[in-house]
Amino acid sequence: MDEPRYVTLMSSLPYHGRLFGARQTPLSRFQLDKRLAWLEPEHADTLSRIEHVLRWRRIALGESDAGFLDRADTLVASLTIPLLAEVVRTRLEARTLIAALRKRKAGQSAPGPGERWGYGRWTNVIARHWSDTDFGVQRVFPWVLEADRRLREGDALGVDRLFMEYAWQELGRLGAGHYFDFEAVAIYVLRWDLIDRWTHYDAESARDRIVSLADASLGDYQEMYA
Amino acid sequence: MNDFIIMLGRAGVYAPVALGAIGSIIGCATAGQAAIGAMLDTESGYGRYVGISAMPSSQIIYGIVVMFTLNQPMTVENATGAFGIGILSGLALLLSAAYQGKCCASAIQAAKAKPEIFGLALAPAAIVEGFAVFAFIFALVLSAGA
Repeated sequence: MDEPRYVTLMSSLPYHGRLFGARQTPLSRFQLDKRLAWLEPEHADTLSRIEHVLRWRRIALGESDAGFLDRADTLVASLTIPLLAEVVRTRLEARTLIAALRKRKAGQSAPGPGERWGYGRWTNVIARHWSDTDFGVQRVFPWVLEADRRLREGDALGVDRLFMEYAWQELGRLGAGHYFDFEAVAIYVLRWDLIDRWTHYDAESARDRIVSLADASLGDYQEMYA
Repeated sequence: MNDFIIMLGRAGVYAPVALGAIGSIIGCATAGQAAIGAMLDTESGYGRYVGISAMPSSQIIYGIVVMFTLNQPMTVENATGAFGIGILSGLALLLSAAYQGKCCASAIQAAKAKPEIFGLALAPAAIVEGFAVFAFIFALVLSAGA
């Protein structure tokens, strides 16, 4: 059932176009947040919690994998709208696959039984098929071989592009049939996040990110050579 | 029993107006809210959006015409016919207006992003209007013999 306020809200949001054709987000985060003020309080809270798990910028640099996975489990268990739970699950499962590809390329061995290293239904399958190029999940993630090839060629941006394209298409697939309801708003915001991330891929932001990562990992030692 | 049948007949006379009005209220409100939202995101074309949002108002007009056609001296013989035609045509008008409102809201959203598809975006709303016209015309045809 469409809620009247969401008809107005969705109509007030500009068309986001295609992911890779965008040079900037369709509207600024400030403007987006102003429009999102129309959300019901519980919906605003739900969307904020989803973004805290799915949006890289909202993830603390020092957060452990186990801590993040606990947060993801809590979020999915608390989501009362099945579509949004599926959105979160699908995205985190794809991220788990990317993480596995990177771990294997780095020479790491398969995760041990019971080890919490990823999210979702495919962690055990991936661990069992660690030596297979496609981790045994090509049927679910048809892009896994292409991602593996790009990763071996050192094309990290290409892997990210592949992942983001998948995430974009999944949002479109899952959001089909939702036009003027909260699900449509949530899908719009998550697509906005993807555009925002893609349009911020540039040398300057990469440098800042590396500096902040280095600072975080050095911790107290960063004063040593100052 | 006869009084009850006649009462049903009278309800059938007013049903197309009442149900058509409810549909037009829902449809125009849905499309109107989309028009308001679109105005926030655009710098021109406001009149077009408001114009589209008024499309689901035609159903109430059809309902009024059907009501006048059914509004004849009520007898036990013609009351059941008036009841059936009035209620069912009213329901068709209600649903067509409510769903036409959704079509109009989507058309407003699409036309906002791509003004060149403005006419084509209205096609689904026009098709839904076509079904309302079918219900209206055949209600008139049948009510002549009710």
